[in-house]
Formats: sequence, C-alpha cells, structure tokens
Amino acid sequence: MTIAESPGAGPNWIFPVTPAANESVYTVSDFQGFSWLPVLYAPKGESPQISWNQSLAKSISFKNFNRTVIIHLRNNYKWSNGKPVTARDVEFYIWLLKAAVKISPSNFGNYTPGLFPDNLSSMGTPNNYTLVLKLKHTYNPNFLELSQLGVLEPLPTAAWSKTSLHGRDIPFNNIRNAEKIYNFLAGQSKKLATYGTNPLWKVVDGPYVISSFDPSTDGCSFVRNKRYTGFGRPHINKVVEVAFTSTQAEFNQLLQGKIDFGGVDFSDLKQVPNLKRHGYAVWGAPDFGFNYVVYNFKDGTNDFGHIIGQLYVRQALAHLQNEPAVIKSPAMFDGAASQAYGPVPTSPSSPFTPKSAAHDPYPFSIAKARTLLGKHGWRKVNGVLTCEKTSCGGGIPKGTKFETNIIYGSQPAIIGQQDEAWASNMAKLGIKITLQSETFNQIISTYSDVGTNAKNRNQWGMIDFGGFTGFVYPTMNEIFNTTGSFNFGGFSNPAVDRAIHASEYSLNNSAVQKELNLETQLQPGLFQPMPDGIAAWKKSLSGPAYSFAAESQYVLEPNLWYFKK
Amino acid sequence: MTAYLIRRTIISIIVIFGVALITFLMLHVIAPSPGREVLGIRASTPSVNSWNKQHGYDRPVWAQFGTYIWDCLHGNLGYSYKLNQPVRTLIIENAPHSIWLSGSSVILSILIAVPLGIYQAVRRNTVSDQALTAAAFVTYSMPQNFLGFILIDLLAIKFNIFPAEAAQTEKVLPYILNWHANFLPIATLTLTSVAAYSRYMRSQGLDALAQDYIRLARAKGLNEPAVLRRHLLRNAFLPMITLIGVSIPVLLGGNLVVETLYNSHGLGLLFYNELLQYDFNTVIALTLLAGVATVVGNFVADIALTIADPRIRIS
Repeated sequence: MTIAESPGAGPNWIFPVTPAANESVYTVSDFQGFSWLPVLYAPKGESPQISWNQSLAKSISFKNFNRTVIIHLRNNYKWSNGKPVTARDVEFYIWLLKAAVKISPSNFGNYTPGLFPDNLSSMGTPNNYTLVLKLKHTYNPNFLELSQLGVLEPLPTAAWSKTSLHGRDIPFNNIRNAEKIYNFLAGQSKKLATYGTNPLWKVVDGPYVISSFDPSTDGCSFVRNKRYTGFGRPHINKVVEVAFTSTQAEFNQLLQGKIDFGGVDFSDLKQVPNLKRHGYAVWGAPDFGFNYVVYNFKDGTNDFGHIIGQLYVRQALAHLQNEPAVIKSPAMFDGAASQAYGPVPTSPSSPFTPKSAAHDPYPFSIAKARTLLGKHGWRKVNGVLTCEKTSCGGGIPKGTKFETNIIYGSQPAIIGQQDEAWASNMAKLGIKITLQSETFNQIISTYSDVGTNAKNRNQWGMIDFGGFTGFVYPTMNEIFNTTGSFNFGGFSNPAVDRAIHASEYSLNNSAVQKELNLETQLQPGLFQPMPDGIAAWKKSLSGPAYSFAAESQYVLEPNLWYFKK
Repeated sequence: MTAYLIRRTIISIIVIFGVALITFLMLHVIAPSPGREVLGIRASTPSVNSWNKQHGYDRPVWAQFGTYIWDCLHGNLGYSYKLNQPVRTLIIENAPHSIWLSGSSVILSILIAVPLGIYQAVRRNTVSDQALTAAAFVTYSMPQNFLGFILIDLLAIKFNIFPAEAAQTEKVLPYILNWHANFLPIATLTLTSVAAYSRYMRSQGLDALAQDYIRLARAKGLNEPAVLRRHLLRNAFLPMITLIGVSIPVLLGGNLVVETLYNSHGLGLLFYNELLQYDFNTVIALTLLAGVATVVGNFVADIALTIADPRIRIS
C-alpha cells in the first residue's frame, strides 16, 4: 500500500533514541514506530490513554508511593533475529538514553532536565520479563505512564550492543560503554543512504522492517516482518511511504488514485466531495494539543503588562473571540476544527477534560466584554478604549489607552485570519490592535522569553505562533508555570504553579483536571479552536476504526489494515 | 585577453566572498542562536545551549564565519542538522533533477523560440504574427503555477495521459529517461519561457532586418533563405547568448514553482524549505552556489559573445 508522507516532513532519523533536531511525530510514530514498539503504547485510537493490547507491557504496578515501578512485559514478542524481547532490552535502551543526554542534552528530543532518565535512581531485571525502576521522587501515576515511561522501548541488545558493524557485543551497563555504543548507533543513523541495507536496522520487534530509503526525498518502503509475533500481525506485505513537495502535489496524486492513505490539507477542503467521488473516505479530528495567543504579562508599552494581568480583561478578550463563527467560516476552518476553551479541546473526548472545559465559560458576546471592561472604568475616548477611573485595577493609571500589537505566524494563513477576526471584534470596543506577521522561527527566536530576556519585554503585547501538539498527558508544565521554559509571556500564578506541580508529583489521579480547570478559568492565553488532522483513504482499505482514528494523533498503524476484495 | 580573464576572476572571487559574508551576517542577525531553530520550540534551554556550544555557535560571529569559509575552501559546505545530511550530499542528490528539468526546458525553449521569433519578425503584422503574439502574451502573463494547474487538471486528472508528478527516482538516468513523467513539468517551464524568448527574438529580428547589411545582402542578389540564415539569424541570435548565460543560475537554482507543483525534489525547493526552517548551512551553501553560478554564467556569456561576434574585442 502507498501512504503519503506529510509534505516537507519526511523522516530522517532511524535510531529510536531521537535527537531534538530530528524529533517529529513523522519520524518517531510514522517511521521508527513501524519497526520498534514501545513498552506502553499510547494513544488508543484518538483517545489519550494506553492501549494495553498494543503495548509490550501487559501490566504495570507501583510501590513505595510510586517511587518503585514494576513493569511486566509480555513473553510472546520476539526480535526478527529470533531472540526474545526481554526486560534487559529495555534496560539497554535506558542506558543508551543516559549516555545520549550525558554527551549532550540535545541528543534526546523528549529530554527535560531533572525528569527521565535523570530521575532514575536504579533499575533491575529480576527476570526476563520484569523491569523494576526506582525513581528519586513520587510521581502522579498518569504522568508516569503517559509521559515519563511512555518513552521506553526495548532495543535489540544482542544485535546493537556494539561499537562497529561487525564488531563483538560489549557490556552496555556502564556509562562509558553506553556512550561508545550510542555514538556508534547515532553515527549509523546519520547514514541515510544505508537505511534500507544496514543489518542493524533489520533487527526489529515491530510489524514491519525497512527495505529502502531515498535520502534525496525521505521516501521509504517497509516489508512485513515475517517473524512478527505480537499484536496485529500485518495483512499488507509492503508499505511504501511517498514523499511530497507540497500539499497540492500530494492532493493531485490522491485525485489520480495513486495513494491509498494520505493527509488532506485545509486548502483542499473544498475538494473533499471530489475526493469522495474518486473513491476515498475522509475523516478528521484534532490532535492532543492546543492553540493559543500568548499574552505578554511583562510588556511595559502602554502598560499592557498590567492591563493583561487583570483577569477581567482576559475574560473580556475571551468573550470577543467568536469560536463557532471561526470554525464555521468557509474562509477559515470550514467546519474542520473543534472549540477549545482551555488547554484541552472539546474533541476528541479525553478522560482528562475537566467539566469547565467542556462548555464555553466565556462565550462570544461583545456586550458582555463591554460590560466587564466598563465596570472597571474603561471608556471609549476619541475612538480608543481608555482607563477613565483613578485605577482600572492592578496599578493601571487613569488615562491609559488599551492598545497593543499581535505578532502572528505567517504560516499557516489561518493563524492570521483568526487574529484579524478577533482584532476586528476588539476594535468594536475601541481596543486598538496593530497586527504584524512574522515567520514562526522569527517569533520563537526573537520575541519569546520575556522572563529572562529584558530586551524582549516591550516589543510585543501578544504573539500567536500556533500552539503545541502531542500532549497525551496534558499538564501545562513548562508552559504556564512561573519558571517554565516555554512560558513565553511570563504568566505567573501561585495557584497554577501548585496545580501543575500536583499534576506531576501528587498521587491524585484527578490532579490534572484540577490544573486544566484552573487554567481554563484564568485564561493565561487566549485559547483558540483546534484544527482537525484530516486524512483520506481508499474505501477499499479497511481495518479497526481506532486504527484510522489514530492518524489524527499522527500515529499510523498499517499492520491493522487490509484491502477489501 | 589573459589580463582580462585574471581581472574578471579576481572580481568574481570578491563578489562570491561578499555574497557569503552578507548572507552569513544576515542569518546571524535574524537568528543568533541556531540551536533554538534546530531543536525546536520544546527543547529545553540546557539542550539549546549545549547544542550551540557543541557546534561552535557560542563563538564570536567572525570566528564562525572564518571557520565556515575555511571549510568551504576544503569542500565542506557544512551539515544540515534539520535533514541529517551533509549539505554537499544534499546538493549532489537534488541538483541533477533541477538541472534536467530547467536545462531541457531552456534548450527546448530556444529551439522553439528562435525560429518562431524569426518567423514573426519576417512576417511582422500579418495574421500569423498577431496570433502568435497573442498566444505568447497569454502564456507569458500566466503564472507558472496556474498554467501547471491547467495542464495537470486536463492532461493528468481528466484525461489521464500523463502522471501528475515528475519521475520519482533518486537515480539520475532513470529520471532523465522517464520523459512521460517529466513531460508536464518540462512543458510548463518551456511554454512560459518560449513566450518570453520568442518576443525577445522577434524584437531582435526586427532590429536586424532594418540593418544595412541585410539590405546589402539582398541587393547583392543573395536568396532570401540565405539572407535569413546567414545574416538575420546569426546577428539576431547574439543577445540570446547572454540570455543563456544568465540562465545558468536558474539551472542550478532549480525552479521552485514547478518543483513544488510536480513533486520533483530539486534545489529550488530545497532552498525554500530550508530557508523557512532556518537551516543555516544549507541556505548559505545554496546562496553561495547561486552566487557562483551567476558570476560564472555571466563570465561564460561574455567570453562566448566575443567568440561568436568578431566585432567585440576584449581589452
């Protein structure tokens, strides 16, 4: 079968310890994931939870206030060289991870200093199928399973614990050797032209094994792992991932019927009926992430930092966003998005969604926004909303004008369109907004980090680069906590800090709901609709519904698919 | 002649050095911390700092530039951290596709446009000239992507005569030999170029027809085909040599629109994608390459013109 790669996002790193520079869902889930399986498999379709059927672990238990984690592996998985997949193979992975981050923190894309593997005090394998991890702290069980331990995956010790292609195995369980092995394997992963032939990459425990790779396009093909013993043995013998230069080029191939499964870009939504006529099924859902406009709480220009620091202002701004209209608009999402009032969108359904985020706490209403601002002393003076009381709260002096700028990402165009619609609503109240377009990289490198970088503080009032994806466990650590690395606008609230800490470190399973509830109420940024990830596949292609739904979370499961006759 | 060549070579080196310096400085100003661009928005600050140090981006900018130039002189154009490949490899992988698509379209365009332009000049203001002029204006004013859309919709999707994408192979020879798959991208490039070249050729032809040497040739009783071939074509074609010379950067630079539309991985698309990704080393290398190609193209055109036209002498 033929699968379309996302244009411009081809995989380029095969070794499953993926550096931050190469870390992407397309490399990890839609390329490495065909050949090497995780200990804990998530998501389950479009639901952010562990799919135990698809996991190498059959169960997991915690002791000692979650400081001891015992992972029980299934005993029916084998490497393609015939050797069993054991707990020692997971231990091998952890040693390589430790070596990678010791050499450079950038060698592991999921690395956060202090968290895994730094928080590991010891590990052991009492038998072939049991792995015991002792952690330095107590962690929330959901956070542990979905975030920390979600990275674990066994690697073939017997085939990879070496420092040259034809060398002998060396012991991996000391950091010096682990570094040597890591350097060798990472070095092999830089030889893209050899991916299809290198014997290292032929030892897999997943349903498919790589058979070719084109380094000029990142197109590749996989064949069925004939010795695959796990869940979902493949029906389709060969999977070809085709690279595309643009969404248009990919869509043309869909229309010609040359692709069995591929993404549908927003620019092609209008042609979905045409696609259906050509024999395709089309479906979409948002991924586990969120889009938002970042507020700059440190902005001294026009006292905006103080203005946005007021909860009533943020609530009023939320009232000025017309999410249903933006989603419905044929010029914007054309129906292919879900409303989001906090960090978790209303769809797909998530066990972590708090009640407050299921319904809009600040529905679109210019009148309500006007009342909220008016109650606190804001009046329109010469066309500009101005503080007319001695203080409009938080030290905003009389005479302060409500004017600022929004710097938004130039791509995709929907970002700017949403901000323009929002600014237009703000203008009706006299809030003066200057819109400025910049590239994503420019926004991130130049305007972020007002917390430690004083020169950035007064350059912007709001930025909109899009948002974040891939939060299977949706704590906003690093984003809305005071010291967070991605707390670009310097939001700070002790209650949120405590809630985020509880999401990671408390034993309470509902801690993250409490955190999300608080963030939804406090609006540390303007939460925006979450677009659907849309895919089209030939109607002759079939399989369990969840395996198609998983695509909305950038996970491809072709081993579960088959062609109807 | 030798002194001229030496002078031009020195000037060319200075120009290329200037291009490298300006590009390097501009990218440094736009994003002084490449680690952030390479590792992405969710990379931790220690990861970014460590990456910058590991790759020498914590050093002063002049030191970084010095290293870069030194490496370039030794054939090392740097490493694309985004694409996990040496930049030189990326260029070698992508250049043949661009050169074939653009090169074959340039040659085809010339082969079609030169006789067409001469024909129009000789038959100026006739119905056929006006019809060809109208056709040329239509294709010339049509955006390349629009023309491509029409061709794809008509010839690929509706009638299924040609594939909607260029040949999909990394190997050069199979790519070149697959004329069926490459027909539409080459046709798109050729149609737009023919329009421009034929207008240019027509104008040159009209100029040449008014010259004394044409009248003299006719007065001497030379038959019309010989006048056109020996005197009109040769003289009118001379400026085309310059045009071909300045097309050399296009051959290497690739064609972003056509490569994007027809799913052909070439240098134009590589440059565009990596520019958006702030992939420093790839962007600088391709800018340098374009600079070298421009300088070399002009240089070659000047020399070729002196060979083709004995009236031009270099001092």
